[in-house]
Amino acid sequence: MAALVTVVLPGDEIPRSSLPTPTGKKKTLTLGPGLRHIPPDTITTTIAGALTTDNKKNAIWVDTNSGRYIPAVGDLVIATIQNSVFESFNCLLTPNTPFASLPQLAFEGATRKTRPVLAPHSLVYARVVSNGQHTSPEITCVDPSTGKSEGLGPLKSGMIFNVSLGMARRLLLKSKGEVIVLELIGAKVGFEITVGRNGIVHVDGANVKTILAVGRAIQEVDEQALGEKGQKKLAERVLKSL
Amino acid sequence: MHPTTQLSPLHRADGSATYTSNGYTIIGAVNGPIEVQRRDELPTEATLEVNVRPAVGVGSPRERHLETLLHGALRSVVLTESLPRSLVQITLQVSGMPSEEGDCGVSSSLSILPHLLHTALLALLSASIPLSTILTAALVVIPSSSSTPLVSPTANQLLRAKPIRSAHVFAFSGDGSLLMNESDGVFSLQEWDEAVEATEEVCCKEEGGVGLSEGMEVDGREGGSLDTWLREVVRGKVNWEMRWKTAR
Repeated sequence: MAALVTVVLPGDEIPRSSLPTPTGKKKTLTLGPGLRHIPPDTITTTIAGALTTDNKKNAIWVDTNSGRYIPAVGDLVIATIQNSVFESFNCLLTPNTPFASLPQLAFEGATRKTRPVLAPHSLVYARVVSNGQHTSPEITCVDPSTGKSEGLGPLKSGMIFNVSLGMARRLLLKSKGEVIVLELIGAKVGFEITVGRNGIVHVDGANVKTILAVGRAIQEVDEQALGEKGQKKLAERVLKSL
Repeated sequence: MHPTTQLSPLHRADGSATYTSNGYTIIGAVNGPIEVQRRDELPTEATLEVNVRPAVGVGSPRERHLETLLHGALRSVVLTESLPRSLVQITLQVSGMPSEEGDCGVSSSLSILPHLLHTALLALLSASIPLSTILTAALVVIPSSSSTPLVSPTANQLLRAKPIRSAHVFAFSGDGSLLMNESDGVFSLQEWDEAVEATEEVCCKEEGGVGLSEGMEVDGREGGSLDTWLREVVRGKVNWEMRWKTAR
């Protein structure tokens, strides 16, 4: 990122010149997090961060890595089951927030006769279907159009590690997120990670030592903002310890 | 001198800030949006809860008074409508006060108010709570001996300027409109006007070069207004968050 970042504070008006110039087919402007539209044509910021634009998607948003996770439709999250009420599970996405509801039939192959039984504190990988400004958020473990799980569902063994929201986004970006430490470790030992947008990473592996090493490595990359060289060094250290 | 500050020092809170200025040290923490108790729930907007904890002892009516003042000012800054039925909890712990604080002749709830406001704002920024604008505040005192107002004086300056005729706290929004005013003492309307003008120069961003050079000459303040200072703080935060992009 050689380009100079535009730092914005809440209440700053976005000048017309900073808006993205559409290059793709999409002509309507998309406002991402941290921006609000005051009719007729004023756009102001609501949070502090770096102003980021994407010309291809014709989108503009404020990039920041702080604060609490706020559910958005389509986000993949790791939820903790709290209890089961009537026909749905109550789940927690972040501590001290209202429960998200996960219908018991929103699992692959679930029918009224065969429902999944999930104990309190078990984990599920789910997608947010409604973010519930006025109701509690709703999540699901199936793709509603196909009825397949598409990788969603209960997470059986393994451990969870907390990372920053920005790190979770980076991990979900795959190669663009520049987290190469996982590939380097993955070349030697097998493990499986699941990333929730709510800042939770679930790691599963052959033994506890591997799981801990991978989880700690992800947290270290997050906290120290390691670049390519630092991540290579970290991966070497981790592999030596295993 | 501009305040020194650090964003997000507490890793358990959603947002936090430490703030040191003129001998006052305050730690602020913000949690939100979180679940609100049923009796505090507002159907269309977020509930704001402000807690002020004193440096020594337990809270007293003075802290309750400060909380009320802060609540009123911050309610107009936080975009409460965008987070309906939730709670934004702001806790401000005073951890250090100047030793001359007790006998400098200004009501202690006035002298600490701008610092509490700044800490609360920084913690809110750190927590990424949607805000409609930013806020800057300063204390102005008018001593009996002269009519020139003293803007954001240190406790030592206050002690030397005694007796003090009136003290004011003004808070400005990002676009330079007056958000809050608390005044104490005897003053004329003209003096009040002068006090507002003097504070505006310190708080708001400069229109053109004149304000900047004046501010630097009069008070030896580096880097101009509080608005510029706030922008620098946020630039530091953004650079810190983006450092993985440039790291090797």
